[in-house]
Amino acid sequence: MIRRILDFIDERTGIRSLASHLLDEPIRGGARWAYVFGSALLASFMVQAVTGVALMTSYAPSDKTAWASVHFIQFQQAGGWLVRGLHHFGAQAMVVLLGFHIAQVSIFGAYKRPREVTWWLGLGLMAITLGFALTGYLLPWDQKGYWATRVATNIAGTVPVVGDATQRLLQGGPEYGSLTLTRFYTLHVVFLPALLVALVLAHVALFRRHGVTPPASADTSRVDAFFPKQLFKDTVAALVVVAIVFALAIGAHGAPLDAPADPSSDYPARPEWYFLALFQLLKYFHGSLEIVGTVVLPGLVAAYLVALPFLDRKEGTALRTRIKPLVPLAVVGLAVIVLTAKAVADDARDAEFQKERAKADARAKAAVRLAMDGVPPEGPLVMLARAPEIRGPELFDRHCASCHVLGEHGSEKDRTAPKLDGWSTEKWILDMLHDPDGDERFGRTPYKGEMPSMDVKPADADESWSPMSQEDMKAAAAFLAREGDPPGTPPPPGSLRSDEKLVARGEEIVRTRCTTCHLFRGEGDDGGQGLAPELAGYGSFAWVRAQIANPSSKETYREAALDPERKGHMPRFDAELSPADIDLLAKWVLDVARR
Amino acid sequence: MSESPPPSPPPPSRRALVLATCVGGCALALAAGGPAVAMVFAPLSENGRGGRWGRTIKLDQLEEGAPKRVAVVDDRRDAWSVERGVELGSVWLVRRGDEVIALSAVCPHLGCSVNAVEGGGAAGFSCPCHTSAFDLSGKRTSGPSPRDLDRLETRIEDGHVMVDFRRFRIGIAQKVET
Repeated sequence: MIRRILDFIDERTGIRSLASHLLDEPIRGGARWAYVFGSALLASFMVQAVTGVALMTSYAPSDKTAWASVHFIQFQQAGGWLVRGLHHFGAQAMVVLLGFHIAQVSIFGAYKRPREVTWWLGLGLMAITLGFALTGYLLPWDQKGYWATRVATNIAGTVPVVGDATQRLLQGGPEYGSLTLTRFYTLHVVFLPALLVALVLAHVALFRRHGVTPPASADTSRVDAFFPKQLFKDTVAALVVVAIVFALAIGAHGAPLDAPADPSSDYPARPEWYFLALFQLLKYFHGSLEIVGTVVLPGLVAAYLVALPFLDRKEGTALRTRIKPLVPLAVVGLAVIVLTAKAVADDARDAEFQKERAKADARAKAAVRLAMDGVPPEGPLVMLARAPEIRGPELFDRHCASCHVLGEHGSEKDRTAPKLDGWSTEKWILDMLHDPDGDERFGRTPYKGEMPSMDVKPADADESWSPMSQEDMKAAAAFLAREGDPPGTPPPPGSLRSDEKLVARGEEIVRTRCTTCHLFRGEGDDGGQGLAPELAGYGSFAWVRAQIANPSSKETYREAALDPERKGHMPRFDAELSPADIDLLAKWVLDVARR
Repeated sequence: MSESPPPSPPPPSRRALVLATCVGGCALALAAGGPAVAMVFAPLSENGRGGRWGRTIKLDQLEEGAPKRVAVVDDRRDAWSVERGVELGSVWLVRRGDEVIALSAVCPHLGCSVNAVEGGGAAGFSCPCHTSAFDLSGKRTSGPSPRDLDRLETRIEDGHVMVDFRRFRIGIAQKVET
């Protein structure tokens, strides 16, 4: 039955002769494991094509959606992580296989006459594969891909005469933007694949025309058919490669995704590992010699590869007669290994780089977590800008850390304002009542000496002074800490303020004893000094928010607080920070201070 | 009725036919590819946007000689979209008395973002990519960068530092705007 169907098809298409043409190719000198790399590359490319098309069904190339859609593929879509992981590690497998393939062809002398064109097509395929790697790296539009690709396009820009035009064509304009992404996407999914398929067809057709290049010592009277002897070996090799790619993809649970690309950030850019040698090379050519590292040396290596068939024209493929033309290749291979190792070692030793890297990793982790709840249509950067845990520390570093310290933010050495860790907690208030001028509180500020201790007699006190009892101090602390709790939340069990009576007593103490200097619900400060802040709502979100926006609004301190004569008071930030940013900052400061 | 038929025009020569086919093929290729090429190559004629004065932070917030990284915020037009009040990029500000030096944070070597280096005598900037280093005035002190950090113009307005934000071509010795 099957035979009859085949007969029917064969009569109309000639499929049998086509199959036998493809499968019965004679392998002069016998099938070999050394010949598997080309087929393994082809198999890897098939994996890339299939996974790539699958990724295309979920990927959206624009600066607002690229990162979010990759995040969706990686973390939310069923099986997405595996497809992305296979594509990511499959690309690296192709680069490794390219290295093996080119080494095998060089050692066997398979580039020699009459196979020069096959060799050149192979070099073209290598360039295309690297082009795939380079364009694909940008597509997630994350920090890693964005900054590394910027370096790559800038390198293109250093080429004399055509550099600027090349860079503009790649970027879609003088700067990076949406068009850069759509252009790289077009290159990656249409242009390069079409070119690759065309060149592969020509490469394989020419290979079939000339056949394999067996080692000089091979017994050429032995001839195997491609099918099944060589094809079996090829299949085993391809399976091994795919198995390794699967293992890597599963081990890494997909592929890494850095924080979304942010043009105004700083980022310690590094290329993928297979470009590290080129990256390291750039460190050695200074000033006007820069172009030696970016263009001249890589160009010379490429030119040498192209010229190799002409430089090695002696009859025969025996390795020992071809040492001379192959030495430069070995040197380049060695240099690549040494430079790569040096790049890795340099980074491992560079404490500054490690710090930057850790910072970037923390940001990536936070971005990935935030995006689990979905990314707004304005894009992932807006998502980050609205997240206190991301934006809070940035705002603090920029606006607060020159005076305050909070956690690892700010410099303890240069601090001139209170340390904010633990601010407005029960313990902090007790410490404040006992020793307001402690180093972590007013000790380093111009207001040192303004607030007296409640239980240590000041030097200038008269006989009517009496210390506040420990119980009263606890009551005041309980009440003030309760003022800072978000409305409607119960006090934490075990805290002073979980005792309602104590809180009530504290309120009475604050209302009667603290209002000599402090405001309480707008009243107090009998002397009119305007130095001590409002205690109602002290430590609450509203209080902190008001204090950041304008410390002289009477919601915290009074008008006199920002009097030009009062040097060193906290300034107002409502001119330079948006209301949304002030909200974020207040929320973050409170969260961290009370952690 | 046996008039000889009127002499038919001589058949076109093979050469003319080949020529005509080639011309026709070229015209087809041009029709299909020409407009596409024109579109793809459009960025070649596009100019950079030049400078834009952007407000950064208050002069008071800058300590003498201590570099501060500030974001330049302005509207950003990118292809089909416009965003209001986004961070276009960042610049380093260094105060020298009442003057402020503004330096583009883009390393002129290959476009990474430079960091400030802390530490007494060697204070300045360094690039985390290829180890270019610059002093506080932006002058190149070591590493591969082909030129100093790019200085941007500044002026003080209402106590705020205003910066003329521009971008320059990367990896060449001359400071040329993109």
